[in-house]
Amino acid sequence: MTLLDISRYTLDLPDGTRLLDGVSLSVAAGETVGLVGESGSGKSLTARSVIGLQPRGATTTGSVRLDGREVLGAPVGDLLTLRRSSAGMVFQDPRAGINPVRTIGDHLTETLRLVERRSAADAEARAIELLRAVRLPRPEDHLRQYPHELSGGMLQRVMIAGALTSSPRLLICDEPTTALDVTTQAEIIAVLGEQRATRGMGMLFITHDLNLAASICGRVYVMNAGRIEEEGDARQVFRDPQAPYTRRLVAATPTIAVAQPAAAGTAADATTDVAADAAPAPHPPVDTAPHVDLSPPVDLMLDVRSLSKTYRMHGKPPVHAVVDATIEIARGGALAVVGESGSGKSTLARMIVGLEAADAGDILVDGAARTGVPRSRAERLAHSRSVQMVFQDPYLSLDPRIPAGRAIEDALRLHSTLSTRDARTRVLDLLEQVGLGERHAPARPRTLSGGQRQRVAIARALAIEPDVLVMDEATSALDVSVQAQVLDLVARIRRERGLTVLFISHDLAVVRRVCEQTVVMRNGEIVERGATAALLEQPQHPYTRLLLDSVPRPDWDLDALAAIDRTEGIPA
Amino acid sequence: MTTFRRVAGKLGALLLTLFLASVLVFFSRFLVPGDPISFLLRGRKPSPEAVAQVTAQYGLDLPPWQQYLNWLAGILHGDFGRSLQFRQDVSVVIGERLPVTLGLVIMAGTMIAVVGLIAGAIAALNRGRVLDRAVLVGLTVLGAIPSFVGSIVLIAVFAVQLGWFPSFGSGEGFWDTVYHLVLPSIALAIVFVVLIGKVTRSSMVDQLGREHVEVATSRGLTRGTIIRRHVFRNAIGPILTVSGLLVAGLLVASSIVEAAFGLAGIGSLLVQSVDRLDFPVVQAIVLLIVSAFVVVNAIIDILEPWIDPRSAAGAGAR
Repeated sequence: MTLLDISRYTLDLPDGTRLLDGVSLSVAAGETVGLVGESGSGKSLTARSVIGLQPRGATTTGSVRLDGREVLGAPVGDLLTLRRSSAGMVFQDPRAGINPVRTIGDHLTETLRLVERRSAADAEARAIELLRAVRLPRPEDHLRQYPHELSGGMLQRVMIAGALTSSPRLLICDEPTTALDVTTQAEIIAVLGEQRATRGMGMLFITHDLNLAASICGRVYVMNAGRIEEEGDARQVFRDPQAPYTRRLVAATPTIAVAQPAAAGTAADATTDVAADAAPAPHPPVDTAPHVDLSPPVDLMLDVRSLSKTYRMHGKPPVHAVVDATIEIARGGALAVVGESGSGKSTLARMIVGLEAADAGDILVDGAARTGVPRSRAERLAHSRSVQMVFQDPYLSLDPRIPAGRAIEDALRLHSTLSTRDARTRVLDLLEQVGLGERHAPARPRTLSGGQRQRVAIARALAIEPDVLVMDEATSALDVSVQAQVLDLVARIRRERGLTVLFISHDLAVVRRVCEQTVVMRNGEIVERGATAALLEQPQHPYTRLLLDSVPRPDWDLDALAAIDRTEGIPA
Repeated sequence: MTTFRRVAGKLGALLLTLFLASVLVFFSRFLVPGDPISFLLRGRKPSPEAVAQVTAQYGLDLPPWQQYLNWLAGILHGDFGRSLQFRQDVSVVIGERLPVTLGLVIMAGTMIAVVGLIAGAIAALNRGRVLDRAVLVGLTVLGAIPSFVGSIVLIAVFAVQLGWFPSFGSGEGFWDTVYHLVLPSIALAIVFVVLIGKVTRSSMVDQLGREHVEVATSRGLTRGTIIRRHVFRNAIGPILTVSGLLVAGLLVASSIVEAAFGLAGIGSLLVQSVDRLDFPVVQAIVLLIVSAFVVVNAIIDILEPWIDPRSAAGAGAR
């Protein structure tokens, strides 16, 4: 039975911009359907339209039928009924999605009390039951807690429980795991799968991650620029994409599959097939990292010895952010630091850049001591000449009032005595190096796309010609196709200029494309290190194995995931 | 336990602030030109003995710190010294006039809160529309009217032309006082409505765009419920903060309104006392205003964790 039937749905903004163009898709009861696309593709808008959350003043044509009833143009009363009984929605970021000033219990019982008019005790009993269903450890206690007291993964379970309070027939999940760590993602996916199966719900799963869609969905729709580009069996689309856009997307999607541990043989085959199929794509996965012989490390560019950092907050147990970390990168090498949130990888990066002071240990860059936080102007300049950092979010790391060219020029002038004309020439040179041009120099950040912004940030970091470039999750906020371009760019600059790169990431697949060496961090400690390929093929530490197993792949076994050691997975 | 410690800490900071304020208020007298003795002796040509006698009578021959300690000890016993102009205890002089000012400030504060919150909420819920712009323009125009101009216009229209309200004095008994204070309160409130209105609007607009509001909508809650439980509730923080800061302005601006409406409040008393170099009264009133401001803001500070539970968890929680 068809739960959701969208046909030839078109949505225009009042200013005439067409955001959705003839979208047709359907979801049957008990079915998991993926809706895959990059940012701006219209996938979230399509999902929100199902429960009548279109932008104000938008004009629509076509039809969106949920549970047999038309949503488009429905009166407010009908929309409320649909939201209360037919569909529930899980949003991307549980921190933003649950009211921070109200308790978890209030969030869960709100609709039960105010809409279904249940008694407080009855509503609470139901809330506890739901929290248990999403496998939260202490439902009774959680009801009294505030959102900030729970981890992201736990909060997302609360969000799922909240969406289930109305026993919906269709569950819409909008990137429900994108804001979460990879091991947490695996747990959330397992919970979602379990609930869908026991309740016989239909599920519309929106994601930018083709691997994830292929591993949990029956069918997928691929969206781009407001249109459905391709639809079909999830694995089929993933293995043998037909539409040119899907081919590009698949090619740009990084995979960890050098070869999965024995059990995952088919997945590895599948992904290598895909890589072969996608050969003519404009952004093929490049493995152009120069092969530097690292043993014995003769010429160390970055030499970090026994670095430690502990945060002591008043009235709280101390947090050992980084414990005795030792890393080395040879001149021209690239080292990845992989870990989940709270692993200390960003603290490590910030200490190397000089934004935090280490409690103990030494940092040597090209033989010069760079351990402390620079105090004087001269020290700051010297430190920033040694190390430059590209930050995660290019929307935040560029001053919105300063044009791209000026941002780069300012960095140049701070460190050299170039004449205005020479500086301008150098700026254009740098912009060209990162694949931008003269026309981008006067552009303010808001007129640039995310990928262009990150290129500007990279150009600004390179302007000083630093010894080491630190990239802290520098591609995490970008779409896969843009990420592929930025990764290619980094590879090219390394090739051309012999740049030394420290690459901080949570994403093993991205790391594989950039770095020949990898260390894995957990709770501030380095638990495993080695050549990236070897580490991915034969992980030694159980945590590395857990990380690898948690990365979605088409033959993902949800039952096995459910069995993943939860004491390790759930943060305290 | 942690709540107790936090509140105790805030109270400690409050006492320290009050102490520093008292030091500033007291010693500022020594920076101001003019000498209390010459005022006391009113231009007479006194003999040096008479000057010495008056100086000793008022304790002005003691070193400044000793004078400060005497003053502080007096205040702690409720003795603010003697007014030079009225030849009465300062506490009596102020006690007579405080109720009028308190009534004025409370009535004006209520008007500011009611009108500001409603106007801000209307603007926020219609953001980008004509009504939003109309409310904003209206608030800005009101905010640009100085209290004395507002007072004169209100007197001219409602007291003189229409004769609905009295234009002078503070009346007798509770209801008569309220009746007399209607126009002064409006005159005082006008300028400040814009602050609360604009903060309410921007704070609510901020919350309206939050994802938790969209989540609440997706769960089938009615718009009214969402606005009440998720938008307005979350918007209270900044509104309270600004309200606390407003207290000082309200107390100071009351002197202008009191003068315009011939009210015998502490605002007009302050102006008059400054004029006549009546230091004990000036010091007492300034200390009173500072205390009111500091105490109100300390209360808002202490309430913070109930407004936003994240703040109790410290900077670590988002």
